[in-house]
Formats: sequence, structure tokens, C-alpha cells
Amino acid sequence: MSTSFAEYAWLVPVFPLAAFAILTAMGKGARKTGPWIGIIGTLASLVLSLCIAFERMTDNADDYSKSIEWLQVGSLKLSAGFEVTNLTSLMLVVVTLVSFLVNVYSQGYMRDDDRISTFFAYVALFTSSMLGLVLSDNLLTFYIFWELVGVCSFLLVGFWYHKPEAKAAAKKAFIVTRIGDLGLLIALLLLFWYMPDHALDFTTIHNVFSTPGGVISVGITTLIALLIFVGAVGKSGQFPLHTWLPDAMEGPTPISALIHAATMVAAGVFLVARTFPIFEASDAAMTTVAVIGAFTAIFAASIGLAQNDIKRILAYSTVSQLGYMMLALGVGSVSAAMFHLFTHAFFKALLFLGAGSVIHGAHTQDIREMGGLGKTMKITAWTFGIGALALSGIPPFAGFWSKDAILAAALDKNGILFAVGAIAAFFTALYMARLYFLVFAGKPKQDGHAHESPSVMTVPLIVLAILSVVAGFVDTPFKGWLGEWLTGEAPEHHGSGIVMVVSVAVGLLGIYIGWLVYVKGTVRRDAVSSRAPALVRTLERKYYIDELYDLLIVKPLRSFGKALQAFDDYIVDGVVRLAGYSTSALGRLNSRLQSGQVQTYALTALIGIVILALAIAGRRFW
Amino acid sequence: MEHLQTLTWTDAWYLAPEVTLSIATIVLALLDLVLPRRINRDIIGWLTLAGLLASAVFVVWLMFDFKDLEGAAQVHTLVGGSYRIDDFGNLLKLVFIGASAFIVFSSLGTVRDEEIPIKGEFYYLLLPAVLGAMVMSSSGDLITLFVGLELLSITSYILVAARKNASQSSEAAFKYVVTGGVASAFILYGMSFLYGVIGSTNLADIMSGMQGAMESSEALIYVSLFLMTAGFAAKLALAPFHVWASDVYQGAPTPVTAFLAVVAKGAAFAMLYRIFFMFMTYFTLNTDGVMKHDVFLALAVLSAAAMIVGTAGALRQRNVKRLLALSGVANAGILLIPLALDLTRLHSSVFSEFIYYLIAYAVMNIGAFSVLTIVARSAGNETISGFAGLYHRAPWTAAGMTILLCSLAGLPVTGGFFGKLFILFATVQTKTYWLAAILLVTTVVSYAVYFSFIRQMYLRSGEVDSGLRLSWPAAVSIWLCVAGTLVLGFLPKPILEWIDKLFELPFDMLVS
Repeated sequence: MSTSFAEYAWLVPVFPLAAFAILTAMGKGARKTGPWIGIIGTLASLVLSLCIAFERMTDNADDYSKSIEWLQVGSLKLSAGFEVTNLTSLMLVVVTLVSFLVNVYSQGYMRDDDRISTFFAYVALFTSSMLGLVLSDNLLTFYIFWELVGVCSFLLVGFWYHKPEAKAAAKKAFIVTRIGDLGLLIALLLLFWYMPDHALDFTTIHNVFSTPGGVISVGITTLIALLIFVGAVGKSGQFPLHTWLPDAMEGPTPISALIHAATMVAAGVFLVARTFPIFEASDAAMTTVAVIGAFTAIFAASIGLAQNDIKRILAYSTVSQLGYMMLALGVGSVSAAMFHLFTHAFFKALLFLGAGSVIHGAHTQDIREMGGLGKTMKITAWTFGIGALALSGIPPFAGFWSKDAILAAALDKNGILFAVGAIAAFFTALYMARLYFLVFAGKPKQDGHAHESPSVMTVPLIVLAILSVVAGFVDTPFKGWLGEWLTGEAPEHHGSGIVMVVSVAVGLLGIYIGWLVYVKGTVRRDAVSSRAPALVRTLERKYYIDELYDLLIVKPLRSFGKALQAFDDYIVDGVVRLAGYSTSALGRLNSRLQSGQVQTYALTALIGIVILALAIAGRRFW
Repeated sequence: MEHLQTLTWTDAWYLAPEVTLSIATIVLALLDLVLPRRINRDIIGWLTLAGLLASAVFVVWLMFDFKDLEGAAQVHTLVGGSYRIDDFGNLLKLVFIGASAFIVFSSLGTVRDEEIPIKGEFYYLLLPAVLGAMVMSSSGDLITLFVGLELLSITSYILVAARKNASQSSEAAFKYVVTGGVASAFILYGMSFLYGVIGSTNLADIMSGMQGAMESSEALIYVSLFLMTAGFAAKLALAPFHVWASDVYQGAPTPVTAFLAVVAKGAAFAMLYRIFFMFMTYFTLNTDGVMKHDVFLALAVLSAAAMIVGTAGALRQRNVKRLLALSGVANAGILLIPLALDLTRLHSSVFSEFIYYLIAYAVMNIGAFSVLTIVARSAGNETISGFAGLYHRAPWTAAGMTILLCSLAGLPVTGGFFGKLFILFATVQTKTYWLAAILLVTTVVSYAVYFSFIRQMYLRSGEVDSGLRLSWPAAVSIWLCVAGTLVLGFLPKPILEWIDKLFELPFDMLVS
């Protein structure tokens, strides 16, 4: 193979970057052309990504990587480069596809925004950073792009900076993920320290940690793995750093779809998958990942039951689904995790864009104020329904197959993890049923001015809906094509008959109960809240995690900061003032001495030497 | 006492640099008398420069001529060891000649007849002054040292008064004569005690006679040491003997101020190192004496006082020449540190540190004074506000001055930074932490001093709108100083290693 598309993979992030540069150069004037530049940039990336992915599918190509020496200090070498593997090419397709659709959708959704070209510039920069992150062949450049992604997220969440909530949310997203980033940075430094030749590229990491009894001790390996996981927890909104993700829904809805559902939050999962050999080398780290993942899955799903903001429900569902992915990684199945990432990207983007369409039409985000929208917004209702079914894990939709793979892998490892996952799946089906029936079924609660969105918004919905139906078939228990392609190993078929039955059963049960409560009315809506108001309240308040953080971390830190400020104001500044004052007093004394009288000068010299001699010689007699 | 050895013709070869300067002085003095008044005396300036360069060529020649086949340095002594040709002396001679050459060069075309009516004398009198400095750095005998000192001092008195029409200049010269005379008296008095106890003025003899003298009359040695210390402190303008410096620096013509700050100070240091290193060596070899600690301590205290007083005084100073005088006080304190450190504690690179910082100090001061000459001319006064808006008037000169100021403040990457750094390392190495602390604190405070220039140059708008008139020799010498500062900052290691290699300490300084 003389030339391949993989050799040009570096162009994938360059297209959106160029779009960003052009958009920035054009300034705010480009209201009409701006969106098109963003769309064309991502379309070019998408086409190239698809070419790369198809090329890799046809013949089982070798991984392609190319790097240049970036800088050399002494014997220390840092390189920068890109690597195309099956895993990265899959991610490229997911990121570019979702990004492209979001771009198209935003053209309609953001039409009336004053800063539409700025919006598209940010989105292009974000896409470029994310693609750079995916392509990086070493942890250092990965980290740089990781931070860039964080910055873009900050800019986009706070895009409507005139809203105080948006500002607060942007700040929160940035600060909370920074905690995770710090973990990743420390992990990076540790790796740099311990790796032979200070190598940070993924291939060497893979080789070093895959050899049993390797150069790096188990303790350090566990430490590094856990610190990397801290980074992933921050970015992927896992417990206990999940609090930023629901708040980040203050950003424009397409951003929620792009960043906080399909791509950026997947970066954490991707990071763990990319550095998976380090995790595999440490049982403790694997267990931690699995437990945190499973806990986050059920924890966030239960919160989702009691929320009323349509985007918040979806946000908690994202947190929960990312928990599933972590669970899959923790039980050792990269392919299941990536599979779920792949399908989830489509149906979650679909759900968010659908929610955007709903908000666009209903002008509210509170699901209690909606109802009967299915009649006026047919396309949205249908596509949203497909997304909801996919999320709930109902066959044959995409989510079923990937969730099934995860549950099967969990059952293989540990019954409890499986049970937790199954219960979370039940919750998922229940809150999605609640959401769907409240929004689309029943009688309209508003005057009938809800309307269907323009086709520029509905077409992406339809594309994503189709993908949400078919994406699952790339890896079914009957034909595990994706797993084989990703890992290069023949897939092992877990005894998944029982898993499938359980999975379908809890999904259907959840929907049925939802139907009973919210459509048929057989069970009263306040059946639970009247009997256990405390429970519902706790869920509504998201287990009081935010309040807990405020009490335990924010308040003490703030008072600590106040104390430091007082210290700075009075002690430090006081010392500085005192030093300044005494120095200039000394200077004044010096000018007094310089009277211009030469007799004084001679006298000073004489007194000086006498004092010096007396002091030096005299100290012996003290 | 052995019979006096006389000077032979072969010895004259070793004295070629000194002889060149002497001849040049006489020739130029006659020329100045013979030449009609209407001829611009700049010609004498150029000839002075030529004399200095010729002398420098001889010094370099001697430095290389003295290497034997293995490349090791040799020492040549003349007249019973009263004059020594060694690498310490040669290197310092090069510094003095180079500094003087820069001063002459930047004065060409800048110094005007209205300011210095005796321009001819102004130029050629620098030659005997440099000659005195060279004698001071190259002597192995108290008498020769003192003769060199007086040659330098008396010539400097005249130079300070070169602005004959300005009463300020005459006043400065008078003060300089008085305080310089007092300092010389202190030194000579101290020397006489030493001679009285030991019976010789030769440094080698003194060292070998120390043991006996310490046993018989320790107190007199004590007195002698303190008197000499006081005298040198006054010559070097170390606090509290520094008060004359501001007046004299302010009154003298700016090129002479630069000469005083760099050459006269460096020469006094050379002499101090010559004499005190002998004591140091003696103390190092005989570790039991309490006197050793006293002498180290006295020098350290003087150095600390100079750093503190110089820096604090400079803070409030608005007149740039007085400010630079006080900055020179602080820098003299720093230059004294290597000598004040206990040699027994693994500290043998005294001279490398001293010479490195001396070179850095010379380069940055001459550059700064050259800029000052031009700026003060344009502003009409010598206050710091004359620098206001310099960046807008003459951006390149402002940039060069900024680099020189960074070096004075001790910021990387400049010669001043590494000079201070090496000395700081030495203080830490010998565990003299309190001195290190004072060095650091005064350095930090001095930022305020030097940054006030930068603030004026960049952030203030000046009243004078016209550009700066810069004669090409002045421009060249300013930029050579800037370049030198940067070279010292970028290549500290090779230069320090070269100096280190050049003199092997015991060989060059131990008077055996």
C-alpha cells in the first residue's frame, strides 16, 4: 500500500482549525457565510474520516503513525505526532459525524443569535481540539488537546454569558474538570519519570505495561492508573466529579449535544481505553473503575427520575450512560465500552437535538409545562421516540446491543455489578418513559403555538434516528464484528441469553410503569412522593451533592481564602510597607550624612573604623 | 636586608606595557604644548587611545609569552620581587586598559571644549592614571603598591577638576584630595606598622616573617590590619567611608566619573587583594589564630554595610551620577565578598568570582555612564527625569540602556546576573548565609532603583521632543558594552572556566 488515507489523517483536525481561523478573521460580520464555513470544515473532516475508517475495514491495515521531534532539551526528547488505529478511526468518525450534524442543526437553532459566527468559530475550534486529542500518538500532546477541549467547553457553556447561570455553569465546569486534569497531569509526570527513556507515546506505554513483571512496580502502576482515572472522572462526569455536567446544560442546546453528550465527555472514556494496558496491569485500578462506573450509572439514573428540566434529565442520563462505559472498561471489555460510546453518541445527540427542537417549539424546558407536542411536532416526536427506545435498551435499537454487551461483560465478572447495571437500566427506561409521555402524550398544556422546527433542524434528527436504529448491528451477540475489529481478537460470546432477557424485561417494565403512571393514570403520579416525600426530595435535590460540596469544600476554601487575604493585607503588606519605610529611612539618614562638609566625611570615616575595630576586637571580651 | 637588585635592560621587556604608557604620556604632554590652540584636541584623544591599545597588545603578548610548553603560566619577578608579572596582574591590566579605552573612545566627539577647557590634558592624563592602576595590580612590595596608588590618586584629583569653569568640579576635586589623602594616610600608617614589626616591605618576606611577628607583637599587626582596612575602605568607598563618593562623582566630568567608578575602584581592589590575600594565605595555613576570624568578619561587615547603605541610599537619589555612585558603593560591597569568605571552607575560586564580576561591573557601568553623558546633554541636567520618554526619542539607546540596567539589577541573562550568582554560590558554599541573605535582599531592593529608570524611559513622556544626538564613537562603545554584558550573560561558563584556568591560585598569588 503505497499511499493511504491514514497518511493524511493529520488533515482531519486541520480543516475545522482552518474554519476557526477564517471565522475569527472574518469577525462578527459573517452572519450568513459563517455557518457555511463551519459546516464545510467539518464536512471535509467527516469525508476524510470516513475514507480512513472504510480503508481500515477493507484490509486489516497496520496501524499508521508518524511523529516529529518537537523539542529536545539535553537528552530529553519530546515528540508530537499522530496515530491511526481502528480505535482512533472509529472515534474520528463519531466525532466528525456528530459535529457535522450539530453544525447543520445549529444553523437553524442559532439563526437569531447575535454572535452566530463566534459560535461557529468556537464549535470549529472545539471539533479540531477533540480530533487532535483523538489522533495524538502520545500522552503529552493528548494532554494539550485535552486542555484545549476544556477551554472550548468553558467558552461554549458560557456562550450566553449575559445569563448569570451560564457564567456560573461555565466556571463550575472549568473548575471541576480542572480537579480531574490535575490528576491526569500528575499521572503524566509520574509516567514521564518512570517510563524508560521518558517515553510518553501510547505504543511504548502499551509495550511497557503489557509485559508481565514490567519495569514499573505494581504500586506505581496503580497510582498512575488511578490518577489517569481521576482525569477521566472529571471529564466524563463520573461520581464524585459529575456535578458540572448537568449545570453545563446552560449552554446552547446544540452544544449540549456536541460536547456534553457525544464527544467531549467521551474523552474520559477514550483516555481510559487508550491507556488501557496501564489499567490492566493493576487489579485495584480495574476494580475502582468498575465500581465507580456502576455506582455512577445507578446514582445518576435515580436522580434522573425526579428532575423536571428536559435537558437536565438527559444530562443525568449521560452521566449514567458514561458510568456504563466505565463499568465496561472496569470489567475489562474495551470493545463493549467503545461500542456503547459509539451508539450512545448517536442516540444521545439525537435526544439532545430533539430536546432542542422541543424547546425551540415550546419555549420552555420544564416537562411539566409541556404535553401533547406529539401532534404538532411529528418528526421530532418520532425521532425522539426512537432515541428514547435506544437509550432504554429496547431491541432492535442501537442502545440495546451495546448495553447488552456491557451487562454481559459485567455478569461475566461479578453478579452484583450486573445487578446494579440492570437496575440502572430499569431506571433509565422509567425516566425516559416519564419524559416522553409527559412531553409528547396527553393534552397540550399551552396555547397551540408549538410548531415543528425547520427542516435544517429536523434532517439531522432523521439522520441520527436512522443511525440510532442501525448502529447497533455492527456488533451483535450473533456477529461480533466491531469487537473483533477494535481489539483484533475473536470475540468471546458470553452466555448472553439470560442477559438479553433481563435487559429487555427491565426496559419494558420501566416503560410499562411509566405508561401506567403518566398516560393511563392507573397509578397516581404522587404515589411515591406522597408516601416517601423525603426520598423524592433527595432525588430532586440530586442527593444534596452540590450542597455538600458547598459546605465541605467551597465554604471552607472561601474562608481560607479570606483568611489568606487578611494575612496578605495586614501581615505581608505590613512587612512590605515596613521594609519600604525603613529602607527609605535609611536612605534619608544617608543623605543627612552627606552634608557636603568634607570634615564630616573624614570624621565619619574615623568613627567608622573605631567602631569597627572596637566591635570586632571587643566581641572577644564579651 | 639583601642588597637592592637593580633594573636591567632585559627587565624592560617585561615592563613594556608600563613603559609604553609612560612614553605616550610624555609625548602627548609635549604635543599638547606644541600644537597650536586652534587644533581640535580630539587628535590627542585618538593618540591616547592608540597608546592604550599598544600597551594592551604588550600585555596580551606577555600573557602568551609566559606560557611554557605545557601551557602552564609562569611568573616573572623583577627587582627583588617588588614587581610581579603574573596572570592576576595581566588580566586586571587588560580590564583597566580596556575600560579606559572605552571611556576615551566614547568621549571622542562627545566631550566639548566648553565643558572641559583642558581637553588635551583630560585625555593624556588618563594614561598615568592607568599606569598607576597597573602598578597597583602588579606589585609585590608595599612601597611599589603605594607609589602606584599615589600615581593613580593624584592624576585622578586633576581629572576630577577638569571642568575648570564649574565650581562644583573644583569643590569635588578638593574633597577628593582631602578624603583621598586621609585614605592614603591610613594605608601608609598601617603599612608602617607592618614594616616596623616585620622589617620588610616585600610581601613575600612579610609572609614568611608573619609567624614570628604574630608571636612577638600580635596587637601591632592587628592595628596595622585595621588601619589598612580603613584606608582601603575609604578608597573603595565602602560604607561608612563612602560619603565622599557622591559629591565627587557628581562634580567630576562624566567620563572621569566612569573612570573613578571602574578603574580607580578596580585598582584599589587589586591592591587590597594583593595585600590581604597574603594574610589570608597565612591565616589559612595557620588555622589556630583568632585574628583570622576577626579579619574575615571585619571585611564581611564592611561588605554588608556597603551593600545595605549603597542600595538604600540609591533609592532616594534623583541625581543619576550620585545614584550611580551609591550603586557603586553597593557593588564594591559585592566585589569584596569573595575576599571576605573563609578560604579554608572549600572556596578557592576567589579570583575568578572577583574578576568575573569586576568585568561585568566595568562593562555595565561604562555603558551606563556613556548613555548618561548623552542623555544629560540632551536634557540639560543630570537628574533621572532626563531619561523621561527616552524610548520615544531614541528607542535603540533606550533598549541598550535597559539591558545595562538589567545587568546592574542582576537580572538574567546578563553579566551582572551571573557575576552576582557566582558570588552568591560562594557565600552559600562557605556557609556564610547571613551575607548571602544581605546580598539577595539588597539585590531585590535595588530593582526599585534601576526600574525607576525603566519607568522613566518607557512610561513617562519627556519634555524634550528632539532626538538624541549620538556621536558614532559613543554609539559604538555603548553597543560594545551592551554586547559585552550579553556575552557575559550568555556564555558565563566558558568565560569563568577560562579565568579559572588562567591562574592557578597558589602559583599566581602565593608570594613564595
